[in-house]
Amino acid sequence: MLTIRSLDVAYGGLNALSDVSLDVDEGQFVAVVGPNGAGKTTLFKTISGVVTPIVGEIVYKGQDLLKVPPNERAQLGIAHVPEGRQVFASMTVKENLEMGSSTRKSRARRAELLKTVLELFPILAERRDQLAGTLSGGEQQMLAIGRGLASAPDLLMLDEPSMGLAPTIVDAIFDRIEFIHRHHGVTILLVEQRVAEALELCDRGYVLETGRMVLEGSHDTLISNTRVKHAYLGM
Amino acid sequence: MEELKWFAVDFFQAVTAGLLVGGTYGLMCVGLGIIFGVMRVVNFAQGDFMMLGMYITYYLVTGFGVLAFLGPYAGPVVGAALAGPVVFAIGWLLHRYLLARITGARVISAEAEGHYTQIIMTLGVALVLANGGLILFGSTPLSVQTPMSRESWEVWLIFFNQARTVAFVLAILFAVGLYLFLTKSDLGKMLRAAADNPIAAAYVGIDVDRSHRFAFGLGVGITAVAGGLLASTQSFQPYIGFDFVIVMYAGVVLGGMGSILGAFWGGLTIGLVQQVSTLVLPYQLQNTAIFVIFLLIIFFRPQGMFGRVWERA
Amino acid sequence: MGRSDKAKQYFAIFAFAGVYLLIGWFVRNSYYQLMMTLVLIWATVGISWNMLSGYSGMISFGHAAFFGLGGYTMTIAFVTFGITPWIGIPLGVVVGVIAGIIIGLPTFRLRGHYFALSMLAYPLAMLYVFEWMGYQEVSLPMKREAPTLYAQFNDQRTYMALALVLLVICMIISLHVERSRFGRSLLAIKQNEAAASAAGINPLRWKMLAMMLSAAIGAAAGGLYAIVLLVVTPQTMFGALVSAQALIMALFGGVGVFWGPVIGAAVLVPLAETLHAELGSVIPGIQGVVYGIAIIVIILLAPEGIYWRIREWLARPATLIKRPVSWAPAAANAASVVPIAESRTQTAPADGPLLHLQAVRRTFGGLRAVDDVTLDIKPGTIHGIIGPNGAGKTTLFNVINGFLAADSGNITFAGTKLTGLKPHDVCRHGIGRTFQVVRAFPRMTVLENVVIGAFVGSTSNAEAARLAMTALDRVGLADEQADAIAGGLTTKQLRLMELARALAPGPRLLLLDETLAGLGHDALEDVLRIIRQINRDGVTIAIIEHTMHAMVKLVDRFSVLDHGKLIADGAPADVVKDRNVIEAYLGRKWMERAHDSVA
Repeated sequence: MLTIRSLDVAYGGLNALSDVSLDVDEGQFVAVVGPNGAGKTTLFKTISGVVTPIVGEIVYKGQDLLKVPPNERAQLGIAHVPEGRQVFASMTVKENLEMGSSTRKSRARRAELLKTVLELFPILAERRDQLAGTLSGGEQQMLAIGRGLASAPDLLMLDEPSMGLAPTIVDAIFDRIEFIHRHHGVTILLVEQRVAEALELCDRGYVLETGRMVLEGSHDTLISNTRVKHAYLGM
Repeated sequence: MEELKWFAVDFFQAVTAGLLVGGTYGLMCVGLGIIFGVMRVVNFAQGDFMMLGMYITYYLVTGFGVLAFLGPYAGPVVGAALAGPVVFAIGWLLHRYLLARITGARVISAEAEGHYTQIIMTLGVALVLANGGLILFGSTPLSVQTPMSRESWEVWLIFFNQARTVAFVLAILFAVGLYLFLTKSDLGKMLRAAADNPIAAAYVGIDVDRSHRFAFGLGVGITAVAGGLLASTQSFQPYIGFDFVIVMYAGVVLGGMGSILGAFWGGLTIGLVQQVSTLVLPYQLQNTAIFVIFLLIIFFRPQGMFGRVWERA
Repeated sequence: MGRSDKAKQYFAIFAFAGVYLLIGWFVRNSYYQLMMTLVLIWATVGISWNMLSGYSGMISFGHAAFFGLGGYTMTIAFVTFGITPWIGIPLGVVVGVIAGIIIGLPTFRLRGHYFALSMLAYPLAMLYVFEWMGYQEVSLPMKREAPTLYAQFNDQRTYMALALVLLVICMIISLHVERSRFGRSLLAIKQNEAAASAAGINPLRWKMLAMMLSAAIGAAAGGLYAIVLLVVTPQTMFGALVSAQALIMALFGGVGVFWGPVIGAAVLVPLAETLHAELGSVIPGIQGVVYGIAIIVIILLAPEGIYWRIREWLARPATLIKRPVSWAPAAANAASVVPIAESRTQTAPADGPLLHLQAVRRTFGGLRAVDDVTLDIKPGTIHGIIGPNGAGKTTLFNVINGFLAADSGNITFAGTKLTGLKPHDVCRHGIGRTFQVVRAFPRMTVLENVVIGAFVGSTSNAEAARLAMTALDRVGLADEQADAIAGGLTTKQLRLMELARALAPGPRLLLLDETLAGLGHDALEDVLRIIRQINRDGVTIAIIEHTMHAMVKLVDRFSVLDHGKLIADGAPADVVKDRNVIEAYLGRKWMERAHDSVA
């Protein structure tokens, strides 16, 4: 579904990504892990179109994604749940979800999609008329994921959903993500700093270190791989 | 006791006048508030778009008499309302061909220099509009005369100028309409989303550039309608925009930059301040009172009544 | 920018003045003579605007305030008290400066839009006040008995000469400001106020000085304008168009350089005035339209003004513009390293910590960004601050530095309490700081960039230059690179330049924020080597980094933060094996799994 080849990206004056390639097949759960500063968020921003690569290609369902402007990429079925949640703080939970389903495809099915999301995250249903800015960190993360889902995406991209959240909440979030993957068959690309949770759930994984892919493999090969630990802790 | 009674009457008269004019000011400020809230652009030319609204209303009603068939009561109202779409279109084009080159989603995270180019560009536009207006319309003060301009209703010793009262009611109606648009309609919500978090808005598929364009057109259009309503209550000339820029900014800042609802209350309050200050200050200094309030707010409570603290350090 | 360059500028200024005078001498038509005078006056107003807004970046829409105050002071002194303008104008200058101080004190606390809008309000308020006071239109009376005494001349060209004198004086003042520590500091503040204050520059002090100078020049111009026109009205002295013109002259001609307003006035004033004269009766307001269009066009095509655009065209991109190094010592060699101990004398217990944090806390809203952190940084060590994303590391640095106030707790540096100090004072005490995002001053050379940091440690410009060269030596940016324009540097060179700037005043402690991020392998090794050498020379280093494999080779000690709390502190080998640390980075499940596989 998503093919990335030889991506070179400079961001903020740095060589953020060098020769990065990855594949996401339909229905898969792919994880990209790596320490902070490795370039994971830059990778997402490039896929979303916020950042333009110097060299490389991104092909999504046969289409050259680099030719598509950022807001159009959402219309193609890519949902981006950004780092730091980025909810619409001055709008209610319900309005946030409505905005999530503002793509042409999903607008027609809005009522049905919203219902699905609220069933998935009952706490959001409880707080549907509350301003998103007043939610707790974990609730905001759920809202951000729900907002992504509300567009009925073919590809759901999650950027460090665990950041800034307490461990128990992180568990709950990952539990939901797994559910979404299993039950609704959504293709997922997950970027995470917390390795174990990410590798646990994935079908295949990539390890990014200082802008390069240093390791890739299936779930089994990566789990407990000491090379992964080395990437994070240097020894 | 008599003196106290008359002072009370004077006071309430001033309050009434303030509220009446404040309604229109409120609508005017909402227009500016939309632009600022969505685009983070300080639009110096806002007053001049208001001026355009006044002149368009004038020409529709009196000058070319296009709306004369509607009669002297409905004509000015419709004229003011029509000024909105016309100025909307002008604003849309202006954004498309000028402002968009230096504003827009790309520049949301730009440094201070990016912001200054926006403000300065709008200053250029303001100069062109005001002086262009002088060339086109001449400097003779005009106003839209309706039978209500000089008539007042009297309630308990307080005079309600008819034209101003009608303007007030209409301003409220337009503001309510706008409020409903922003809260209930999809387009309105998308505007609010683009204002709230442009990056997340792009992620969910909202065309932020287009939203900005729409917001700009809407903002200047609304202010133009407010101008059109004012046109039947006071005289105007092409430079009137400059007088109102500070009034509008004072209102928006008081209400809280970033809060559209706040902008309305801010404008209303400014109208009150302006009129009530005439009780103690000479007529020429009524705007000075506004400046003082404006400066006080900026120094002591920059987020105003309802705003978020928005600062680019 | 050595003495020869200044001499060149002086020559250019006087040549310009000479040519102008010559042209003016031959102009007979009094309208054109007046126009030539107005060009000079508006150029002066533009220089006034440049002094505050062009150099420091605080955009003002209210310079009419000073212009008007200068004009009205002179006028009132003349009309009401019979004081000659020769005294009245300087009096106006004094009034202007006082106004500048009164306006500056509160308004400088504001940022960006709020500052610009406030500045807009002041002259408009003054306009209404003067109208109310009854000064709708004041004509200066003719003093036929002693015209020269009252600065009244029959020949318009005398006014032109006067205006030229004023302009030349202001140009020279600007020249000196631009080349001085004052101007450099303003430029630094404009580019990145945070970095400037971390480098020891006191923003408020310099801004206030700029405001006072700017007000003085503006008031002088206003006074002269009033004499030339002989009629003052609130609208012509305080009106929005005046403030706009002040801005336009500089913006059009060139922001931040004194030739800018001269170019701007020389182009725009004749254009507007001529059109006004020819078409003014048919098309009133043509002047305003011209100025408006000028703004729009220049913003689109050359946002910083014609002067800079021309210079860009003249400089071919491939070659770096070689500019003479300012105040460079005749021979700067590697041997002349300024000993660190010289610059800061603070006695600290020999084996006590250099920097001590005690229970430091900082929250944002509900979030505990720094949660009860107690740690020591020992002198002479390289101390790494690490932790997962969002752990609060940069916030910790910002608190130490003075950009953020600690909510509670103490920070002591070599026995002195740091809590509550402003960034430039913290720098003065001997702490240097680099930032995650390098903000170079792209049009200045590397040396000039570093000299900014050296100001705080030196009393003279020559000494600052010496310190800067020494610092550049230590980071390995050699002579050729010292002259290079910062805009063309590689990432590694930029990082080293930042490092040199922090090093220049001879600090005892360096706070490095992600200096190694994004560097390739070789560049990384170079930078590591340089950092180690700096440390061996006696500078204690605290460094935030994510590139772990580099850090483990570099540091003596690690402090690990997670969610604002200190979770580990010790030797690298111990810390990376610490359960809590592994868990923080890799997750609890990793630990459980590792535990399971071992068991």
